[in-house]
Amino acid sequence: MAVPVEEAIAALSTFSLEDEQAEVQGREFGFRLIAAQRIVPSYSDVSAYRLSLTEDTKALNQLNALIQEGKEMGSVLYTYRSCVKALPQLPDNMKQSQADLYLETYQVLDLEMSRLREIQRWQASAAAKLAADMQRFSRPERRINGPTVTHLWSMLKLLDTLVQLDHLKNAKASIPNDFSWYKRTFTQVSVQWHDTDTMREELDDLQIFLSTRWAILLNLHVEMFRVNNVEDILQVLIVFAVESLELDFALLFPERHILLRVLPILVVLATSSEKDSESLYKRVKINRLINIFKNDPVIPAFPDLHLSPVAIMKELSIYFQNEALTCYTYQRHYLIINHIGSIRAEHDDFAIRFSSSMNQLLLLKATDNPDIDWCKEVKGNIYDMVVEGFQLLSRWTARIWEQCAWKFSRPCKDIVPSETQEALASFSDYEKVVRYNYSAEERKALVELVGYIKSIGSLMQCNDTLVADALWETIHAEVQDFVQNTLATMLRTTFRKKKDLSRILSDMRTLSADWMANTSKSESGSLQQGGDESKGNFFYPRPVAPTAAQAHCLQFLIYEAVSGGNLRKPGGLFGNSGSEIPVNDLKQLETFFYKLRFFLHILDYSVTVATLTDLGFLWFREFYLESSRVIQFPIECSLPWMLVDYVLESQNAGILESVLMPFDIYNDSAQQALVLLKQRFLYDEIEAEVDHCFDIFVSKLCDSIFTYYKSWAASELLDTSFLFALDNGEKYSVEPMRFTALLKMTRVKLLGRMIDLRSLIADRMNKVFRDNIEFLFDRFESQDLCAIVELENLLDILKHAHGLLSRDLSIDSFSIMLNEMQENISLVSYCSRLASQIWSEMQNDFLPNFILCNTTQRFTRSSKVPLVPIQKPSVPSAKPNFYCGTKDLNAAHQSFARLHSGFFGMPHMFSIVRLLGSRSLPWLIRALLDHVSNKIAAVEPMITGLQEALPKSIGLLPFDGGVTGCMRLVKEQLSWGTKSQLKSEVLRGIKEIGSVLYWLGLLDIVLRETDTTHFMQTAPWLGLLPGADGQILHSQDGGESPIVNLFKSATSVIVSNPGCRNPTSFHILSKQAEAADLLYKANMNTGSVLEYALAFTSAALDKYCSKWSAVPKTGFIDITTSKDFYRIYSGLQIWYLEESVRVTPSSHEVLGDSIAWGGCTIIYLLGQQLHFELLDFSYQVLNVAEVESASISQAHKSPHFVQGWDGLLEVMKKARRLNNHVFSMLKARCPLEDKTACAIKQSGAPLHRVKFENTVSAFETLPQKEA
Amino acid sequence: MARAGGITNAVNVGIAVQADWENREFISHISLNVRRLFDFLVQFEATTKSKLASLNEKLDVLERKLELLEVQVGTASANPSLFARDA
Repeated sequence: MAVPVEEAIAALSTFSLEDEQAEVQGREFGFRLIAAQRIVPSYSDVSAYRLSLTEDTKALNQLNALIQEGKEMGSVLYTYRSCVKALPQLPDNMKQSQADLYLETYQVLDLEMSRLREIQRWQASAAAKLAADMQRFSRPERRINGPTVTHLWSMLKLLDTLVQLDHLKNAKASIPNDFSWYKRTFTQVSVQWHDTDTMREELDDLQIFLSTRWAILLNLHVEMFRVNNVEDILQVLIVFAVESLELDFALLFPERHILLRVLPILVVLATSSEKDSESLYKRVKINRLINIFKNDPVIPAFPDLHLSPVAIMKELSIYFQNEALTCYTYQRHYLIINHIGSIRAEHDDFAIRFSSSMNQLLLLKATDNPDIDWCKEVKGNIYDMVVEGFQLLSRWTARIWEQCAWKFSRPCKDIVPSETQEALASFSDYEKVVRYNYSAEERKALVELVGYIKSIGSLMQCNDTLVADALWETIHAEVQDFVQNTLATMLRTTFRKKKDLSRILSDMRTLSADWMANTSKSESGSLQQGGDESKGNFFYPRPVAPTAAQAHCLQFLIYEAVSGGNLRKPGGLFGNSGSEIPVNDLKQLETFFYKLRFFLHILDYSVTVATLTDLGFLWFREFYLESSRVIQFPIECSLPWMLVDYVLESQNAGILESVLMPFDIYNDSAQQALVLLKQRFLYDEIEAEVDHCFDIFVSKLCDSIFTYYKSWAASELLDTSFLFALDNGEKYSVEPMRFTALLKMTRVKLLGRMIDLRSLIADRMNKVFRDNIEFLFDRFESQDLCAIVELENLLDILKHAHGLLSRDLSIDSFSIMLNEMQENISLVSYCSRLASQIWSEMQNDFLPNFILCNTTQRFTRSSKVPLVPIQKPSVPSAKPNFYCGTKDLNAAHQSFARLHSGFFGMPHMFSIVRLLGSRSLPWLIRALLDHVSNKIAAVEPMITGLQEALPKSIGLLPFDGGVTGCMRLVKEQLSWGTKSQLKSEVLRGIKEIGSVLYWLGLLDIVLRETDTTHFMQTAPWLGLLPGADGQILHSQDGGESPIVNLFKSATSVIVSNPGCRNPTSFHILSKQAEAADLLYKANMNTGSVLEYALAFTSAALDKYCSKWSAVPKTGFIDITTSKDFYRIYSGLQIWYLEESVRVTPSSHEVLGDSIAWGGCTIIYLLGQQLHFELLDFSYQVLNVAEVESASISQAHKSPHFVQGWDGLLEVMKKARRLNNHVFSMLKARCPLEDKTACAIKQSGAPLHRVKFENTVSAFETLPQKEA
Repeated sequence: MARAGGITNAVNVGIAVQADWENREFISHISLNVRRLFDFLVQFEATTKSKLASLNEKLDVLERKLELLEVQVGTASANPSLFARDA
């Protein structure tokens, strides 16, 4: 061995074992529990101490073996499930094989019954052995040493096993049922057999055993009193039990429960006659017993079975029942909810102190040559903490046991069913005692307590090997101090004269003193004489604890010394004033006596922790399963799941992290099913339930995580100043919850499996985010274009929620998910789902049915019945967390969205730009432009038709008729003849063209704004400076832009530093800066969408130029006979203006302002603006009206001149103003000056339409719509 | 024998007990250290598992990203004409 162990272990501790995962789950004790079940101390080394305890040890081992067997019998009985229910019935046509069925049934049942028979036999032999044991060790003329204290305990435990078995037999109704069926089949089957008498006899025996209540105890009673001298030992046992219970120091809860269960039975046995009871009450005052029974009216026996001592006493005892045993039930005492406050304080306090003493210990271990006193203090402190921890754990777990027992004994009477009333009758008993028996508060307290038990348990368990030697050392020191100092003092003073006693004391020294531990102080073993030091010896610590056998012998000797080996000695164990030992010494002996008992628990550290934190019993319900006649209860009735469910539903941030604790209960119960009860089917049932529960748990947890992050994001995205001003603003704030610890759980231990909860959650989150995006798109598709703002808002919330969640959990990036759901992954596709939806929405609904208001720059839905009917899928519904999380937040965001739901304007355009981005936007623009050219093509034949319907010549409107005359003339001239139905068609076409152009205008504004912002952000990095005349100057220092310079110089500095690990990454960084520089510079000058659209329209119009803009034959302006476009539009305009005044659902409400945009743009692009302004009919009417009003006002001084026409005139003026606005805008955005300049030929004749080249290649840069 | 106790050969027992203490010191020393090694292994397993889990998580993310990129490249290489520079 080259490396010393110490060093090797020290080297291991340099490994980083840091773990991300928080301790929010209990520890697994798997193999330790198995070990605890297997290893029963055999005390084989007791004989080495030559205390003549051979007989006692033999008896002790025998009892222990019996206890072990009895426990197995108990688990067989507890897990017994009725077979009769599962037996098949024969159909009518198979009656002939009834006999076969009987035989088969008999064979099946025989197996089960043989187990019961075994139990019957076992209990008989156990009772006999116990009785014999008691008699042997309680004879007054005793010849053998014993019984030792351990022996007493074994007797009590065996008694307890018998009591439990008996109780179980009484409670299980299925056993007699099965048995009677068995008997029936037996009589059927045995007809053919010979010699069935013995079997029949055996059967009758078994029947009596099974059907008699308390058969085992009655049998025990008979066995014991066969020879009439067990009263002494019974009394001793009672005294021992009562004193232990009253002192309650060294008892962990399993032992306490054993004593509580056994005590009534002992009393019943001990008071089987008047004389006996008197003698008992002489030793133990009856009030002490009654007190104990009163304080614990209900004792847990099996997971779902409880014992009531009072009931047992009343049922079994002949003499005790006279006594007043009215049982006061203190509900407060049993309910955890009444203690949880103090438990919480205890837990917090203990956890802190335990950790601090652990830190002290670590500090101590890290110090070289520590001060011995300090060493002792720290280790003593650890010992104290461990003792306290065990006591706390024991108390807490006992509370849970007791509360359970209490709840089982008090089923819920007034169930308030949350569901239907009719189910009231069908509530099973189990639902009454569990499901409806725990209020929300009680569930919370239970979760909390389970959490405390498990966390303290795992805290103690994980420090097991750290504290072990400190504990051993302290115990060693305690024992040595007692044996070497206290006993030495006693021997020297009080016991000097008493030979017997002093011999016992020196025996104690002999068998446990470790003289060599203080060799450095005194070389010789002469200390046996007492030594000279008055202050006692000083020990060098030795980290070795006494063995179980040593403790056993010491306890025996102390007991022996105190009781004097006389069972009949009146009074209690240590409370005896008549003893020969002085009170002071007695006290010391007593303290050490109980300490010794606790040493064993401490030495068995991990088993003790495992036993004390085992909460598996909370799941078992065998008894209720049987009485409810069902195979298994639904998980809603299962206590662990109720707790998990409660934590998830309550949304209580405080207990959220304990949500995994109830799963430890499943772990524990699975462990119990396999190790204690040894039943595979129970484990299978637990496993099935756990699988089911865990699935539900994960889905519920994910749901609440998603809701939480969603509402967090939604509340953060609300306007804070607005919220501040609001009275009920808190409604929109979200209670902080900490999911971080749960999100870090990569190893959830569940029935021996390790589950990566984090990845499960991440998977589900990935899915739920995609679902949500999908839902939002579905929702948008079922609404009109105005919902785009809402969509953006909801997507923003989702994105923010994603951002918040990805701090704690790694999930797919939002843009990837969005692209995926937009079906936009492909590199060659530019039409995302959203873009195509926007386009189809525009084509089918927006362009036909929305009208423009030029003043507000908004499109609104025409109030008239839609011309084009729209069919949309119904709005999909979803849980609130697919919107904004909670209902309140939904309402808040919805009221914001509602502001934008009635129109389409700038905010919508911003949303579109942001949502589509530079990828899909060109596609949409292209689609819209194609739409324009299609519309023009569609309108063209109709225009031709109208041109044909136009009269040959229309002169200028004469002034003499006034407005009335003009209008009459107009009507006569522009009747359109047969083509008049084309009018509204054409107007709609022009309106759609106008809408598209205006829409693109809005888009242009928005894009400009975005681009400007972008420019402002990038300009300083690219080294762009504003020049004197608004030009952009490139800064010329070094020829490179600041961003490149910055990264280059930074890289060179870093790389020149010798400490730099990987220079390549910095070189890459600087290269990337160059790339960014190039990319952003190239993106600098983006064109205008509107100008582009106008150029495109112009190019599209070129085809029809000859038809719509005929070159007059004369070469001069054609006034009367022109059939140019402007002429047609003029006619249409005056018609619809007039219509809009006359007809109530005015045509303006159908067409809106975009008609002007469409018409004027075409006119302008055809170069007919001036013609239009000169010759438009309505303009002429206005001119006439002006002249007329001037003449009339001169005559009558009356402003109201042209009666009946002022409405029309007003509309015309409005139209003129609008047209002027459009023209001026067009002039600004699509100047034709450079083209009009050459519009007059050298000859002087005007050239009406100049064809300027629209470079066709420009349009190919936009992606095709079909792509 | 009225009283119990009375170790028959007290001196021998005392010597044996003393030897027993020493032997057990050795045994418990060894067993404690074995348990510590065992504890270390358990803890090592736990931390390794969580490290592996985080590695797995990263790989998962990368895998999904790679899948996405593959699809994208696939769409691109299926339409080479779109990306070929005009010759």
